[in-house]
Amino acid sequence: MSSTFPRRFLTLLAQRLLLAGVILLAWWWGAQHLPSFVLPGPDKVTQALFALWNSETFGRDVVATCRRVLLGFGIATVVGTLLGLALGASRALARFFEPLLAVFNTVSSAIWAIFAIIWFGISDATTVFVVFMTAMPLILTSVWQGAQTVEPQYVDLARSFRMSRAQVLRKIYGPSILPHFFSGARLAFGFGWRVSLVAETIGSSDGIGYRLRQAADLVQTDQVFAWTVLLVALMLVIEGGLLKPAERWLFRWKSASKGSRSVAPSSTPASSPSPSPVPSSQG
Amino acid sequence: MSALVRDEAPALEARGIGKRYGRLDVLAGIDLAVYPGEVLALVGPSGCGKSSLLNILSGLLPPDAGTLAIAGVPAKSFRHWERIAYMFQEDRLLPWRSVRDNVAFGLEATQANGAERLRRASEALRKVGLEAVADAWPHELSGGMRSRVALARSLAVQPSVLLMDEPFSKLDPQTRSQMHSELLRLQRGSGATVVFVTHDMEEAVVLADRIVRLAPNPGRIVEVVDLTGLTRPRVPVDPAVTEQIRLLRMRG
Repeated sequence: MSSTFPRRFLTLLAQRLLLAGVILLAWWWGAQHLPSFVLPGPDKVTQALFALWNSETFGRDVVATCRRVLLGFGIATVVGTLLGLALGASRALARFFEPLLAVFNTVSSAIWAIFAIIWFGISDATTVFVVFMTAMPLILTSVWQGAQTVEPQYVDLARSFRMSRAQVLRKIYGPSILPHFFSGARLAFGFGWRVSLVAETIGSSDGIGYRLRQAADLVQTDQVFAWTVLLVALMLVIEGGLLKPAERWLFRWKSASKGSRSVAPSSTPASSPSPSPVPSSQG
Repeated sequence: MSALVRDEAPALEARGIGKRYGRLDVLAGIDLAVYPGEVLALVGPSGCGKSSLLNILSGLLPPDAGTLAIAGVPAKSFRHWERIAYMFQEDRLLPWRSVRDNVAFGLEATQANGAERLRRASEALRKVGLEAVADAWPHELSGGMRSRVALARSLAVQPSVLLMDEPFSKLDPQTRSQMHSELLRLQRGSGATVVFVTHDMEEAVVLADRIVRLAPNPGRIVEVVDLTGLTRPRVPVDPAVTEQIRLLRMRG
């Protein structure tokens, strides 16, 4: 057992390095045969990256975009969770509002961006609004679905100990919904992050999206590439450094580990970790 | 076991209890007293309302008629419901909590602080012999161990009354009889009153001081069998025990 793990890891590492090498090579080869405003080579992009890193607006732009995304996502989390819980608690309420959810899910983020320009003009509110409108229905849907999977037997158990409604909500509903919320919120954050750039290209005067459009207008393709590389790296860091470890810790009870205890097929209906089906009409 | 104290107030006393679901009379005119330290079995065919009666005794299900008193106090003014524990047919261990946190679950509804909860949960786990798996997750345990954890969770709140709805019916026969002796041992130690529902006459005879037999349409008590004369420990192969089981099965 002990020797297979590092070997598997090394194989994987080698594969990843190979893939990166192939892509870099193809990129470099393509750049040789195309004008640099279409496809700048790795060397030019690296230079642009350093220039960007050292420019005085860089930190401000990244902070501005992050602030808008986090604000929109934060409001969406609060509102989506509360509405999802409300719909999960009342069947009548859910039936009444269900069509509205379908509408929210089919309206493209680009349309929200245009509305936002009309309503809020060039301001932070525009981007925050677009992120909110994109992320909120996703979080609402996943919390609502999670609330429907709460095991009534566990609620009865809490009631048998005379727990208050607030305690039932915190100790039974919370942990039951959390896996659904987590997968929904992760999706919502990804979408929100991407649409924030779209919103910023038309509705703000700073931030990453604004710089991207500026670079495009000036045909600074190497800058566009540099931003892209930065964004991908940032997302990988958030995913691997924050979300994955958080998920592994939060849902550690799902994986059998900790030595070899007697393992019996459990009869309890443990809620499945599968991500809830989410409408896929974002753009 | 004939030393039951019958002159103090009953641990649970039901008078004229009735319950209807729609037009169906589930229970009618139930008079029942359970004495402190007694182990009482509710048996009867399905539909006789024995589970409903248990739920009414727990205070979780309000009756449509009649009154309930706990240790002489009317249910309306009774304030110590946390001293009445309920054990379900399924173990209902919360999969996201470790074994220890599952046992401490019931204590979180009480005034006990974190350290106190931990201490009492560990003590309850020790009583059922599972302190070694305190940090395991429920899905890592066997059915019998899960059942013991559920029992520990009920005992951790130090109940004066323990109500059980066919708690061991999903276990294999060998594990079930282990749980029976475990339960009786713990009951003797704590002096708790136990009321349990079962459809298994053997389980009823092995555990109970008295067996209350119910009949359906409407749910009512047809017979109370006093087993305090039957010596303990009772094993199902003992002729006296077998005879009692046979008699009950004939009538049931």
